Amino acid sequence: MIDERHEELAALHALDLLEGAELAAFERALAADPKLQALVRELREASAALAHTAAAAPAPAALKARILATIDRAERPAPDNVIRPGFGVWHILPWAAAACFGLSAVWLGQRASTAESQIVALRNEQTLTKVSLQTALQQLEIDRLVSAKAIEETTQKLAAATSDLGSTRSLLAARDEQVTSLSARITALASSATVLERQLGDTRQQVAQLTADLKAQGDLANYQITALASMIEGSPKSVAAAVWNPSKQEGVLKVENLPALAANEDYQLWIVDPRYPNPVDGGVFTVDPKTGARSISFKSKQPVEVINAFAVTRERKGGVPVAEGPFVLLGK
Amino acid sequence: MSTCLSFLSPGLLAVAGRDRAQADGYRDRMTLPAPTSPTPPDSDERQQIDAALVQRMAAGERDALGDLYDRFSGPLLGAAQQILRDSAEAQDVVHDAFVTMWEKAVTFDRTRGSAFAWAVTLVRNRAIDRVRMRRRRAELLEGAAPADLGYQESGGEATGRETVTIGEEARAVRAAVATLPLEQQRAVELAFFGGFTQEEIARKLAAPLGTVKARIRRGLLKLRDSLAVRP
Repeated sequence: MIDERHEELAALHALDLLEGAELAAFERALAADPKLQALVRELREASAALAHTAAAAPAPAALKARILATIDRAERPAPDNVIRPGFGVWHILPWAAAACFGLSAVWLGQRASTAESQIVALRNEQTLTKVSLQTALQQLEIDRLVSAKAIEETTQKLAAATSDLGSTRSLLAARDEQVTSLSARITALASSATVLERQLGDTRQQVAQLTADLKAQGDLANYQITALASMIEGSPKSVAAAVWNPSKQEGVLKVENLPALAANEDYQLWIVDPRYPNPVDGGVFTVDPKTGARSISFKSKQPVEVINAFAVTRERKGGVPVAEGPFVLLGK
Repeated sequence: MSTCLSFLSPGLLAVAGRDRAQADGYRDRMTLPAPTSPTPPDSDERQQIDAALVQRMAAGERDALGDLYDRFSGPLLGAAQQILRDSAEAQDVVHDAFVTMWEKAVTFDRTRGSAFAWAVTLVRNRAIDRVRMRRRRAELLEGAAPADLGYQESGGEATGRETVTIGEEARAVRAAVATLPLEQQRAVELAFFGGFTQEEIARKLAAPLGTVKARIRRGLLKLRDSLAVRP
């Protein structure tokens, strides 16, 4: 009974798939087991039959003729220099027989047979040597072709590499130039950056100024402008205008055609804020006795949020805390 | 032999020695003992005729070699072409195999194997040697992987391109192979025609090595059994 392991090895051996130590071990087992030998033979026959599965090729008559020609050449007498030792013995035998004078014909026959065997063996060895030599020369030619191809390819690769090296050097030089140019540009840009930074500072200052101006313009939008009308009978030309800046709690008052004051009198400005029970004091002023005009800046004595009206009264010199005199101008 | 080759370089001597060793290896593979199981009558008859031709070759009868060529050259050339994919190289291999059979005919012993198996072994080993050499060259030159052998295209049924009538033997063997599971067919064919090692076959089939070995074992055993029971 052959186990599966040996069946497997036998199959692989039949297909020449065993190598090295595995082959050696199996051949030792094979030599000692006739059943295993029979199995290998059967499997080798089965595997040989696989040749029939290939697409059958027509047998060329030329190939047959070539094979026959080859064996005809192989059957020609071998060169003298190869078989001479055998013939030497062959020719020497009669001389030896003559010298001995007593050797029997049977002994001579045995010697002749031995010599013929040697000749056959030498011929076989010569044929095998020729085959081996032919194979070796073919192998050498193949190796030569492969080496030549490899050298050719290496030379081509070397030429390509040299060309690549030249290109790389050119590229490197171009890159160096680019680096130099870029360095110069960087220096110029650094200088420009300094200038720009300075300009940026200036611009920031301008922006700050503009922002302040805009803020001021914004404040201007909040200014309250009030026209004051005359409250004096017989003097309708008296007019005035008041401009109030709420954020600064200050304003400008421009009057025209107000009557001239006595020496102990002042005009006094009042700001009417509903939060206070009495109008807030805006200060005293006089006018040009000839034109009755005056432009003054004034500040509120108390914080003012809402202005309902401006009023001007005629008071004693220096003004009073609470309006006492007659109203001269009033504007809401 | 070493005297005759003494003018050659050590490298060439090594090559020649390797070739001689291969030749010895082939001879050794054919020196197996007699089979223990009977072969079918028609197959045995064919083998008897083949063996008689080899005996006549051993006796120096040139015509016997011609007759053996007529009997074997079709499948031998087909197998060589399938392995080598080159008609000229296949003819060279078949030529060398027949010359070797002529030279070694005296050593042939029918009880140790059929003449056809001997001829197939000679052709296959020479063809595979060339394929492996070609692969080594290709790897050296380009590192290219060997091309697919394309068994599916030409390994199975006969095609219209065949110009030779398929014999009864070929039909029987193809029918036997067709009964194998596809994975066993593929493994056995790669082993027989591909010249690959076990590991290379496993890689080519993308299967574990143990699986590939089992497929080859089962496939070859089944093929043997199928061929043994045919009429």
